[in-house]
Amino acid sequence: MQSSPNMLTKFESKSSRAKGIAFHPTRPWILVSLHSSTIQLWDYRMGTLIDRFEEHDGPVRGIDFHPTQPLFVSGGDDYKIKVWSYQTRRCLFTLNGHLDYVRTVFFHHELPWILSASDDQTIRIWNWQNRSLICTMTGHNHYVMCAQFHPTEDLIASASLDQSVRIWDISGLRKKHSAPTTMSFEDQMARSNPSQADMFGNTDAVVKFVLEGHDRGVNWVAFHPSLPLIVSAGDDRLIKLWRMSDTKAWEVDTCRGHFQNASACLFHPHQDLILSVGEDKTIRAWDLNKRTSVQSFKRDVDRFWVIAAHPKINLFAAGHDTGVMVFKLERERPASGVYQNQLFFITKEKHVKSFDFAKNVESPPMLSLRKLGSAWVPPRTLSYNPAERAILVTSPTDGGVYELIHLPRDATGAIEPTDVKRGQASSAVFVARNRFAVFSQANQQVDIKDLSNSTTKSIKPPSGTTDIYFGGTGSLLFITPTSVVLFDIQQKKQLAELAVSGVKYVVWSNDGLYAALLSKHNVTIVTKTLEQVSSLHETIRIKSAAWDDAGVLLYSTLNHVKYSLLNGDSGIIRTLDQTVYLVKVKGRSVYCLDRNAKPRTLEIDPTEYRFKLALVKRNYDEMLQIIKTSSLVGQSIISYLQKKGYPEIALQFVQDPQTRFELALECGNLDVAIEMARELDRPKLWSRLGTEALAHGNHQIVEMAYQKQRNFDKLSFLYLATGDQEKLSRMAKIAEHRGDFTSRFQNAIYRGDVEDRIQMFKEVDLYPLAYLTAKSHGLTEEAESILEAVGLTEDQISLPQIEEPLQVVQPIVLTYKASWPVKAAAHSSFEKALMGEVGAGDEEAAELGFEPEEEEDAVTAGEAFEDEEEDVAGWDMGDEVNVEEDVDFVNVDSAEAGAGSTEADLWARNSPLAADHVAAGSFDTAMQLLNRQVGAVHFAPLKPRFLEIFKASKTYLTATPGLPPLVNYVRRTVDETDSRKVLPAIPRDLETIASVDLQEGYAAMRSNKLEDGVKIFKGILHSLLVNVASSDAEVEQAKKIIETAREYILAMSIELERRSLSSDSPDDLKRSLELSAYFTIPKLEVAHRQLALMAAMKLAFANKNYSSALSFSNRMLANGGSAKLLDQAKKIKAQCERNPQDKIEIEFDQFAEFDICAASHTPIYSGSPSVSDPFTGAKYHEQYKGSVDRISEVTEIGAPASGLRLFVPSQL
Amino acid sequence: MDPFSAEGELINIHNAFLQGQYQEVIDFDTTSFSPENNIPARILQLRSRLAVGEADQVLADVEGEKETPDLAAVQALAQYTAGDADGALQLVQDLVENYPDNASVQVLGATVLQGLGKTEEALAVLGKHQGNLEAVALIVQIHLQQNRADLALKEVQAAKRWAQDSLLVNIAESWVGLRVGGEKYQSAFYVYEELASADSTSAPLSIVGQAVAEIHLGRLPEAEAAISTALQKYPNDAALIANSIVLNVLAGKPTEDLEKRLQETEPSHALLTDIQEKSELFDTAAGKYSAKVSS
Repeated sequence: MQSSPNMLTKFESKSSRAKGIAFHPTRPWILVSLHSSTIQLWDYRMGTLIDRFEEHDGPVRGIDFHPTQPLFVSGGDDYKIKVWSYQTRRCLFTLNGHLDYVRTVFFHHELPWILSASDDQTIRIWNWQNRSLICTMTGHNHYVMCAQFHPTEDLIASASLDQSVRIWDISGLRKKHSAPTTMSFEDQMARSNPSQADMFGNTDAVVKFVLEGHDRGVNWVAFHPSLPLIVSAGDDRLIKLWRMSDTKAWEVDTCRGHFQNASACLFHPHQDLILSVGEDKTIRAWDLNKRTSVQSFKRDVDRFWVIAAHPKINLFAAGHDTGVMVFKLERERPASGVYQNQLFFITKEKHVKSFDFAKNVESPPMLSLRKLGSAWVPPRTLSYNPAERAILVTSPTDGGVYELIHLPRDATGAIEPTDVKRGQASSAVFVARNRFAVFSQANQQVDIKDLSNSTTKSIKPPSGTTDIYFGGTGSLLFITPTSVVLFDIQQKKQLAELAVSGVKYVVWSNDGLYAALLSKHNVTIVTKTLEQVSSLHETIRIKSAAWDDAGVLLYSTLNHVKYSLLNGDSGIIRTLDQTVYLVKVKGRSVYCLDRNAKPRTLEIDPTEYRFKLALVKRNYDEMLQIIKTSSLVGQSIISYLQKKGYPEIALQFVQDPQTRFELALECGNLDVAIEMARELDRPKLWSRLGTEALAHGNHQIVEMAYQKQRNFDKLSFLYLATGDQEKLSRMAKIAEHRGDFTSRFQNAIYRGDVEDRIQMFKEVDLYPLAYLTAKSHGLTEEAESILEAVGLTEDQISLPQIEEPLQVVQPIVLTYKASWPVKAAAHSSFEKALMGEVGAGDEEAAELGFEPEEEEDAVTAGEAFEDEEEDVAGWDMGDEVNVEEDVDFVNVDSAEAGAGSTEADLWARNSPLAADHVAAGSFDTAMQLLNRQVGAVHFAPLKPRFLEIFKASKTYLTATPGLPPLVNYVRRTVDETDSRKVLPAIPRDLETIASVDLQEGYAAMRSNKLEDGVKIFKGILHSLLVNVASSDAEVEQAKKIIETAREYILAMSIELERRSLSSDSPDDLKRSLELSAYFTIPKLEVAHRQLALMAAMKLAFANKNYSSALSFSNRMLANGGSAKLLDQAKKIKAQCERNPQDKIEIEFDQFAEFDICAASHTPIYSGSPSVSDPFTGAKYHEQYKGSVDRISEVTEIGAPASGLRLFVPSQL
Repeated sequence: MDPFSAEGELINIHNAFLQGQYQEVIDFDTTSFSPENNIPARILQLRSRLAVGEADQVLADVEGEKETPDLAAVQALAQYTAGDADGALQLVQDLVENYPDNASVQVLGATVLQGLGKTEEALAVLGKHQGNLEAVALIVQIHLQQNRADLALKEVQAAKRWAQDSLLVNIAESWVGLRVGGEKYQSAFYVYEELASADSTSAPLSIVGQAVAEIHLGRLPEAEAAISTALQKYPNDAALIANSIVLNVLAGKPTEDLEKRLQETEPSHALLTDIQEKSELFDTAAGKYSAKVSS
């Protein structure tokens, strides 16, 4: 008999004999009724005893939770049935009636009924709402050991020591109790005289079937949850399966195996299994369809008495002589492996599937692993090898087996794998591209095997090793109960050891630098060299973990997804309604497998941990980003920041003024503090602000705080200290006003104002003091007048010797004029980042250097001309752009052909595109092609482009030392191996040109760096001229970019010419006006055209060419855009409309259609003869035919050409 | 037992050599080796010293030990490396004649011959090998340099039959794979990545291999990451710099500084000579064209 390797015990209790068990339907609770008269309520997840109920006298055998109410029922050898509330923790009432031991009690799933079975040979139904007995079923002629309701129908099954199982129909009882209001007279009669209704005294419950087959007493019976099946267990050591139809019931088969009385049995809630327990100390699982034993579990000394299944989740409990055990039949963790964007996993049907994270698609089954291990045992682990596209799966069956299977190329269905390598092992993992390690726990040996499954090396792991994991390339992690050991396979050497106990899983970070070691209640993060980084404890069981790309560990417990930073900071991300196993974290999505092995995606809000991570890394930009884009609030993050010593950052999140005030004080940000204090305006806050400001030396704020508190004394002293005499005297006045003499006295002293003091003393009739003051300060006259007033003479007063009167010390520096050196407020770099951000934003608004000086007043527009002139000077860039590079090399023909032809030769053969010939190094043929296609004649500007392409065409692979490196050719056809189709990679593809180069060109335009701009756009033309496209659409795009570049080069050249003119002579001025007008013709982006129009408009306006200026302003207004520009246009328009005349006649017809000749920068009116360039399409007056295109500087104007080729459809 | 086999005592030093960990080879503690392995170990160390540019010291080291053909072969290679082509050729031809079956003579001799452009002779010498994987690898390389990937592939496949798991065969297969392309790029990548990612086996050689494979696979950011980290660690490795130039050009970044650096470290590098040559070709070819009207 095989033992069960995969029965997982989740909880065990120690007590006296357990006779009854009930699972709570939703909470992790279990009720256990004991032979010792106690009922225990356990939390099996936490392993704690929640409560004990002790009112029964003698053994308690039956126990059941109510499916929805906070109630449970028990039945005992004291003949009593008790209904309890677990909330109030007491017995609510007792149902008396049975005349012998009560064996089982059960609640009905919807009606307020309790079903009890008793040794008094009856089965009874009770209504617990009105606490009455509603039905007594007689018929068994021995103890009734068990009676159960059918889960859906009005049936009852009972088992008795009379060797029979009976099925009872209770539909009559239901009818009677379900329609009380519409009861007919007959019904009432029938009900009031139940004894007359049938000869056996009962119509409510009638025996439907009697099942005879056991030849000893039957201990237990149970219905199947959905099928018409019944299972029973008897003292004949047999488990019998019965089937019933509407009309009959019969025995289907018998499961033989128990070698002592079978105590109880039940159907597995979801799987085709029967479970039974017996006094032979075993729990057995049987295949429902084959009635064969699937697995068994044996205890050493304890006989089993009862078994129960959790109604929803995969959990069972069995009661035995010394307690209960809660267990699972199988692991529910689906075996899975992740590689880049793919998850490989094994479903409940044992099919291998993959899941694509990028596309969110689950593949069809790829393989069926039906034959791996045994039928009811799911595979334990899966290890994926991307190089070989192979998987390594293990199953715990028979002490552990592994299989190495190559995945099919395409997922076509659950096919049986071919070419499977297998062997015995408790664990197996890939350790390298072509090696895997298998570990046998029994032999304590690790074998390194190659892909043909032959052992290449054997390693003795540390004693007690329980599992192995991948330890980084070429390394293994050995897991022992108390430690983890890192082992280098090649050197056969232990590299490191870390004492962590009970590690069950190892999860590597995506970059392979860190690993998380998971045990039941701990997560330990280690580096790849096994140095501990952090460790955290969870009271709830930890199930799985996955790393996000930023190096944050996300882990799941039974009911939460949490995160842990490397420094050990952790927090909850979200709650879970069911247990899941995380496999990958990507952005806001957490991918996981649930217990049914279905991939699921959980949306999370990573803001909190990203923020904390940014905080730890001091990545202020990212923090700023997070603050701006998400609503990161909540007390937790604020207190976290405060705790971590970042009050200034916390300040950014808080809205509540009180908290803001506190934080502002903490980080010394007085501006915010004062703002908040104003808002709240409470004396206490002002007082605290005053204290803080004083410490800072910011006496303006101190002053305000004192004022707000009406703290005059302190204010006076402050003014004294800062030397503000004026305010001090105002204080004195205020004191006088208030009639506060003490204050007035004090102020007088501060101010050294003797008269005021004397005056005051006189007012309060303190003449002696007044006299004394006057006398001591030498104010004899005053002193005498006082004497006079009181009618005394000098002789009558004896005075002590008086020295020189003391004067109040005056501050040397009158700091009230300027503040004291203020303590620097703690502006964090974070805040600086914030402020810098604002600054940058402003700059952006100001459109960089191109913006002409602001002129608010249109009347002074004349002056604008001068400003404009200055601007023009800024634009003055001197000589014409010279893209050509100095080239002076001597030609040497390339030698060397070799035995075969190089791939480069193939490229030239395979492609008619110039760029491919360039990459092949065949410059002359490339030039021929370009000459034919676009009339290229002047190649010098293309030299950097040619060399660039050539440089990127091959790599250099060092092989044998001493010999030159092996040269390999870089292809754009990465997947192609047919030598007739391979083609070279060409740097600067269209996308780069459009997204990088073109934008640089625009930036140069915007920032008024026209020479750079011309260079950039010419570079774009050259890049495009020698390039390849991957589709017709790309060819179109390339053509567009060529046109754009042409227009910009033309525009910039016109403007550059204008700037090279001196503005002195009238001819030059005319030309300048013309050029500025032409500048507005090329098709630039609207924003840039506005700049051109603006410049032209101002120039025209300044030179009193109001008609032209008017047309420019009209065009500007028609284009729309920034309000600032439009305002100016409007003003100028208003001015010009008064006198729409041009002072200087220029060759510019604002109403005619014309092109600009790219060489002479003069108009070509439609209809007049012109030639164009075959590459750029730039227009020229006829006399320029045959010369080099001014725009590209490569092609010949008007040359015959077949058109640029960038793409050959068949190449794809 | 073959001392180079997985269980032999030379395996680690030999692998280190193949992985390009020359300093590790030079520093390797060989005192525990059995006497018959002393010479092979010493040869590996001498070759490593040649690889790191100590040709003169190596010449001094083997001075007067011409009696041992293995050491004489090293001397020939050292002479060749030091620039004494004639002396090296003379010596190699002597050795090949007298000790045609000596493994070191085969491998080192053929290296010199191939280096001097005597491909046919090199292949002839190597053809006499008896299960010498280094000879196989050299044959593969020579075929690849001849642009005969087909022959190279045959050679590798033959070797795989009897030495499937040898590191050298794997590496040689990657050489071929990088030439053949398609799916083979990925396999080659795995081989090099495995070597490059483990600290104990990482060296410029393997990083270059990894990066080159990634360039061919079109995964430029990954290649960039590998190369730039490696360049910080080994700033003067010519192969790293050369491939970094290729990579930067492909990514559209400037390469002037790198080219200057390469010019300083290895002015004779193929990349520089090729560019020089093509630059001249360009000028000649461009000279044939001109506009009808000069402006």
